[in-house]
Amino acid sequence: MTEEEQNILYWEGLRKGDKQALFELYNNTYFHLVRFGLKISPDDELVKDSVTQLFLQLWDKHGRLNEVTHVRAYLFTSLKRMLLDKLAYHSRTDAAIIKLRYKEGDVELSYEEIIIRVQHDEELRNKLHKAMEQLTPKQKELIRLMFFEGLSYKQVAEQTSQSIKTAYNTIYNAIKCLRTILK
Amino acid sequence: MDIQNYTVEDFICNESFQRYCLGSNKEDIQFWENWIKDNPLQSAGISEAMHIVSLLNANQGNLQVQLNQLKDGIIRFEMLKEALEHTADEQNQQSVHTQQPTHIQQAEPYNQQPATRKILRYAVTIAASLLLVMAAGYYFLRPSQTIDKAKTKIDLTGTVIRSGNEPRKTVVLPDGSIVTLRSNTTITLASDFNLANRELVLSGEAFFDVTHHENHPFTVHAGKLNIEVLGTAFNVNAYPTNANTETSLFRGRVAVSKNDHPDQKVILTPNMKLILANETPVSKPVKQNPFRIESVAVDSVNHKPREIAWVRNRLKIEDESLVTIAGKLQKWYGIEISFADEQVKTYRYSGTFESETVVKALEALRLSYPFNFQIRKDTIVISK
Repeated sequence: MTEEEQNILYWEGLRKGDKQALFELYNNTYFHLVRFGLKISPDDELVKDSVTQLFLQLWDKHGRLNEVTHVRAYLFTSLKRMLLDKLAYHSRTDAAIIKLRYKEGDVELSYEEIIIRVQHDEELRNKLHKAMEQLTPKQKELIRLMFFEGLSYKQVAEQTSQSIKTAYNTIYNAIKCLRTILK
Repeated sequence: MDIQNYTVEDFICNESFQRYCLGSNKEDIQFWENWIKDNPLQSAGISEAMHIVSLLNANQGNLQVQLNQLKDGIIRFEMLKEALEHTADEQNQQSVHTQQPTHIQQAEPYNQQPATRKILRYAVTIAASLLLVMAAGYYFLRPSQTIDKAKTKIDLTGTVIRSGNEPRKTVVLPDGSIVTLRSNTTITLASDFNLANRELVLSGEAFFDVTHHENHPFTVHAGKLNIEVLGTAFNVNAYPTNANTETSLFRGRVAVSKNDHPDQKVILTPNMKLILANETPVSKPVKQNPFRIESVAVDSVNHKPREIAWVRNRLKIEDESLVTIAGKLQKWYGIEISFADEQVKTYRYSGTFESETVVKALEALRLSYPFNFQIRKDTIVISK
């Protein structure tokens, strides 16, 4: 059974009031939702709180939920709407800009932008920026796939058409380089 | 390779370790929790590795921790819903004449159905606002941390600063913090106000730009509120004659609590304001949060917060001498500005500045042509 087929089952359970189904759906979708949210706003606390709030709302109105064929897409859309509303609430001036950006087509933040902007400490931000600059585009790509997208070595190797061993060595060297600069 | 000989890089690159950091797989969590317990000497390396994993995944968090938060949220939500349903039933059994909380006054006491539904809707609104509260960055801290402090009586009988009829009056406190008072405002400092004890009482409205001292919080007592400053700039509107006490934050962080509940602290983040009604209604809904949080009101024309429009000065200067500019600043902020040097008076400046404090204004001017200034309690002295 694919993840999405599981999600549909959990969704049906949720509609019938099965709390465990809600938690299983959360387990299945949490990281997808957080990654999606971070591409909209690099405020990890806001994103994580919003994901929790989204599931609390689903539980609150479970009796009134409709049948859904694309559960993950439905959750993405709901999360995006919630995040945009919250960003608008926090800063009215930015709201217009954010909404406009999304009208013109989804402009996502890049991986580097996200990991740097998530940090609040200025010194750490600078170090992280410097560290990422030292990496080759290939190293950056593999780091993103493994740590941000949560892929395994096997999946990384498949996506980049190279052996698992090469993928491992590339990532290992990148981490070694990052660590010396971050110290 | 034996895990005992792992370097930090080896931990980071280990898939099972990554899953442990994310809390995404039960067996991995079990394995690493045990391993870490059995190998206390490796704890420094483990925590460095966890830190780097978290940096690289942009703080996506730990699934188990997040799931527990959701579970807690659902328990709280259901308790609240139940409590309010219960109240609704009780209310419905009482006679029409009994005093009822204001929020259900329109409910029909003899007809259970619509009333209950109304309460339920109310419950959901409360739940929604509670969530908003979480998002806005509220933390209720543990009672034990603050109660002891509340018990120690503070002696607030020191220097009194009054603005009287002046539209604004600016003073620099002994710790270097700058306060601008609005008209008819009084500030009373603690008798031993110094770097280590920064407490004062405010009646009226004032804008604070507080110097940061790691271990010494700056506390403002205003009406029923205690405002503890963890960061920098904020405005407090606490005229005893107003219906509400408002605290608006512009930079940094402040923690606000009520006199009678020093254990319940609310942390405000920038551009949020906290409103407390000065008159508490006789009948209060159960479990209602005493505070209301709003984002600061933004002027539709200049997009600047309205709360501090009274203190923000827009200074348009076209080739004017520093002595003229100082005169304008002195008039606006209500602080005497004098010169220790004749030549500085003739420095000429052009530009438009906007600032909330007199010091910020002077610092902006100084950028285009340097001069020095010293701040004493109620005077600023400009020199070369």
